[in-house]
Amino acid sequence: MLGFIIQRLIQAVGVMAVMSVIVFFGVYAIGNPIDIVIPPDATQEIRAEAIRRLGLDRPLYEQYFTFLTNLLQGDLGRSFVYNMPVLELIGGRLPATLELVLISVISATVLGVSLGIYAGYRPDSWVSKTIMAVSVLGFSVPSFWVGLILILFFAVHLGWLPAGGRGDTVEIWGVAWSFPTLNGLSHIVLPAVNLALFKLAMMIRLARAGTREIMLTDTIKFARAAGLSEGTILRRHLLKLISIPIITVFGLELGSTLAFAVVTETIFSWPGVGKLIIDSIGLLDRPVMVAYLILVAFLFVTINFVIDLVFALIDPRVRHGASA
Amino acid sequence: MQYRKFLAPLAFALGLTAAGAASAQTLTMGVRGGPESMDPHFSALGSHAEAAKHIFDTLVWSGTDLQIEPGLATSWSPVDEDTWEFKLREGVKFHDGSDFDAEDVKFSIERIPVVTGPTTTAIYVRRVTSVDIIDPYTLHINTDGQAATLPNDFIRLFIVSSDAAADYSTPETAAEGFNSGAATTGTGPYKYVSWEPNGDLVLERNDDYWRGLGAWEKVIRKEIPNDSSRLAALKAGQVDVINYVSSVDYLALERDPAIDAVKGDSVYVMNLQLDQREDTPLVRAIDGSDLDENPFRDLKVRQAIDYAIDRETMVDIVLEGLGKPANQMMPPGFFGSSEKIPMPEYDPAKAKELLADAGYADGFEVDLYCTSDRLPGDAAICQGLGQMLTQVGIKTNVNAISKTVYFPAQARLEYSMFMNGWGTLTGEASYTLGGLAHSNDPDVKLGAFNRIEYKNEEVDALLQSGATMMDEVQRRAAYEKAMELVMADKAYISLVQLQTVWGTKAGTLKFDPRFDEDTLAFFITPAS
Repeated sequence: MLGFIIQRLIQAVGVMAVMSVIVFFGVYAIGNPIDIVIPPDATQEIRAEAIRRLGLDRPLYEQYFTFLTNLLQGDLGRSFVYNMPVLELIGGRLPATLELVLISVISATVLGVSLGIYAGYRPDSWVSKTIMAVSVLGFSVPSFWVGLILILFFAVHLGWLPAGGRGDTVEIWGVAWSFPTLNGLSHIVLPAVNLALFKLAMMIRLARAGTREIMLTDTIKFARAAGLSEGTILRRHLLKLISIPIITVFGLELGSTLAFAVVTETIFSWPGVGKLIIDSIGLLDRPVMVAYLILVAFLFVTINFVIDLVFALIDPRVRHGASA
Repeated sequence: MQYRKFLAPLAFALGLTAAGAASAQTLTMGVRGGPESMDPHFSALGSHAEAAKHIFDTLVWSGTDLQIEPGLATSWSPVDEDTWEFKLREGVKFHDGSDFDAEDVKFSIERIPVVTGPTTTAIYVRRVTSVDIIDPYTLHINTDGQAATLPNDFIRLFIVSSDAAADYSTPETAAEGFNSGAATTGTGPYKYVSWEPNGDLVLERNDDYWRGLGAWEKVIRKEIPNDSSRLAALKAGQVDVINYVSSVDYLALERDPAIDAVKGDSVYVMNLQLDQREDTPLVRAIDGSDLDENPFRDLKVRQAIDYAIDRETMVDIVLEGLGKPANQMMPPGFFGSSEKIPMPEYDPAKAKELLADAGYADGFEVDLYCTSDRLPGDAAICQGLGQMLTQVGIKTNVNAISKTVYFPAQARLEYSMFMNGWGTLTGEASYTLGGLAHSNDPDVKLGAFNRIEYKNEEVDALLQSGATMMDEVQRRAAYEKAMELVMADKAYISLVQLQTVWGTKAGTLKFDPRFDEDTLAFFITPAS
């Protein structure tokens, strides 16, 4: 087990190093951020001074080396645009993204798996057919369009929910969260639904396919022959057997939504990290881009690692294989 | 234009009377962009200055039509060749109750070059060499040579408190001190409450403001960068006013009785720029072979391009009516705009004739580059331009790309024919012609944005002498002459002047659209 963890850690460091090089050199290839942000009445001298202050006049390998040295001391650098430490900038926005993503991914999974199992268990009922028809919509309609329609219908037309932004927050352990307040919750609903729709559809399809397959296996036949109730079979046997692909997808979706909830955050003006990274790309704010993508790589490596551990807990074959 | 000058003081007076009735009110503004920090000296970005104007005052004020007016300075005059005297307003107090005086101005001027970010505010004090305090309300500002436009430079010179900001004036401490509110002490109409980067800026009224009492007790400035989301927030009643309504939405709003659209002229003019170097990279013959010389160096070709452009169609069809045809790089009425410049005619037959005269009867091929995400309609104008030029035989490949890629490449001189907007934010020509039309010459600090190697000796001479002429009439004549020469050379071809639209709920708010597109809570008043 220890060897496994160490191997994963080495992989993680490798991925992050490659990521930082690609971003660093990629952004350099696009051009000088100063040319995007410099005011039009700047003289040549002022432009040169601005470039020098950000250290952009030095050779690229030297800039990269400075970055690495600082990184090893736990310093990810300062944003060009906001002149704030990058970690502080990202950390300040992470709670907003975290609560939005957790609410949407967890509710999509709970609801999606339940509906999917039902649709797989009774494939011919009209309810199941309706569920499957709706799930096609979830897949095929682009999320920015759904977001705008949600705003138009629930905020502009009906006036039930706010059109965007984050609501009132309360401090818990020094971090501002909005889900404990009623006003905060009302702001979360629409973006969470918007984010959840695609995942809901995917979970329904995964759970349905798994259920249909497992229901035909000998395990279920023997369980029925042993006189177990249908409820017990579904809970104890079916759910366990279909959960491996669902957990994998859950983990990856959680990661990718945390990292790239950009479209929803932009449409709903949600002050999360997705909006931050898009703005940073627009202004070539390299410290933020590099730090963010390194953190994302770290996030994915961690999630994959946790998923592997969870597999071992659920599936005795994995558990015994690993310990043998 | 005239009626707005007349209305401005009237609206101001109404605002004062309405303030009493409309107390305990909150104004929520939905805006496209925001400040990058609470430190007013960090960035020269328009939306940064717009936010800062709520909390801080500038030394010189720039009015609705960009005319310069007294701000924290009540008057100014040159004392000798390289010294200006500024008289300061007495009795002004900072938000913490301390007095404003010359010490704060000197401190602010000296602080700027130290704490500025990449969108450098050093431009505002670039001509200043030192500041002498004569008495608490009189300053002498020494410049590097004659600086005729120094008062114009100071329209975004924000004054911070020399006491409150004393410990927060290094690049490392400035953001922390101002973003936490510790140093965010100004003399402006509103006091700082809280701010989140890219989020809400919350303000409360400064009851001792020297201009009078604002109409709103509380102001929330919400950043909503997406155009559709911003409009939805207005329609849903989440915000009271929004800026930058897109041209597509503007058409729909015209028919919507629940929303008022307020249209104002913008300082932005779209300019087509033609590379004047002997070798230019992105031009070739129709069959793909190299041309003997850069066709844009031939005046006839440049005139042909001008004749090929139908500005009326650009405005009516491409911009949905949100603009005006432009014949020069600044809007009419600005200091240095010339009335003698004719509006170019649209005459495709003449364009073809001129091309044939110049030896390009078969035309040639060029890659046109434009921004696609910087100003309303920039990509659409680019496509329109491509079609119009192709019709007269200049086969134009349109590339409307993100400003993130466009500006760095433009600075590396990689383009032959390109178009982007230019906003004359100071309202006078030295800003625009000095940056674009003078040959790029670091020794005289002019031409830093001349990316087509345009050079006209006469224009260079006029701009250099204009910058030192203290006499306003002479200076205006010099800039007008320079503008006429530049536009006649047609290396820069001005296409359209943009207009901007604000949206408010019908019949609720009153304000005059500002030329610099700022949305300022203090000058917005309830309609009733």
